[in-house]
Amino acid sequence: MAHEVYYEDINVGDEMPELVKGPLQKLQHVMYAGASGDFNPLHTDDDFAKAVGLDGVIAHGMLIMGFVGQAITQWIPRKYLKKFGVRFAGMTKPGNTITVKGNVVDKLVEGSENIIRCEVLAQDENGDIKVTGHFEAALPLKG
Amino acid sequence: MADKSKQGKEYPPIIWEVERGKIRELAKAIGDPNPIYQDRDAAILEGYKDTPAPPTFLTVPMMWSSSMPMVINDLKINFANVLHGEEEYEYYKLIYPGDVLTGIPKVVSIEEKTSKSGRKMDMVTVEILYTDQNGEKVAKARSLLIERK
Repeated sequence: MAHEVYYEDINVGDEMPELVKGPLQKLQHVMYAGASGDFNPLHTDDDFAKAVGLDGVIAHGMLIMGFVGQAITQWIPRKYLKKFGVRFAGMTKPGNTITVKGNVVDKLVEGSENIIRCEVLAQDENGDIKVTGHFEAALPLKG
Repeated sequence: MADKSKQGKEYPPIIWEVERGKIRELAKAIGDPNPIYQDRDAAILEGYKDTPAPPTFLTVPMMWSSSMPMVINDLKINFANVLHGEEEYEYYKLIYPGDVLTGIPKVVSIEEKTSKSGRKMDMVTVEILYTDQNGEKVAKARSLLIERK
């Protein structure tokens, strides 16, 4: 039986199920570099990162956006996602544990589509924000 | 600083064949255990025709094609001063293994802003519109690059 979410079942103020990732390891930066094709050494080479004034490597912003995408599509099926955007607000380092949260801010009918709008954020164990963002999904009706 | 004369410029297309293994590899790198990205049968049970690409998959053709570095070079932006400020996707169709995507990168705007601390920055917005092998629109990716000056 397919996982299904209906427009009628989602209300403004509903919270997206939280997703906790980590503590993050450098190995994941290497895996993400290979998968994504982003080989900026800032993410994989501590010496390079120190040479540009950081303590060490930082995670790819797109990896953190990927965590947010994971959180969204474990809740709202991938096929209903219409729009997804983030602003990168802070650097993520190895050892950080990232929690992704979200909530529904609007529901509206646009033409034949039943749209929910949600805000999302990713923060670390200290509450420091890494990413803020939003998504829209067009959900089916029960009948 | 970014070359403002390049506003509106389009770049050579990114041609990208979507592979099942790359979809699975990206999901694994993110650590996303959702079976729809890794198992065709599980995806079909959930109403997909195959394993769909995860929401951030379009970073793969952009980075592996070296398209974004080419745009940054062409804009005469100093790589060392670039931050990825924002990323946004609009999805029109699901992306599946075997799809052949064509993405046209375009510099849509270059605006100078001043940060709260008084530092000047160029805000460069690059959009890539992707179509599939049938010429149908698949998605649009919008990246905001911030060049600190």
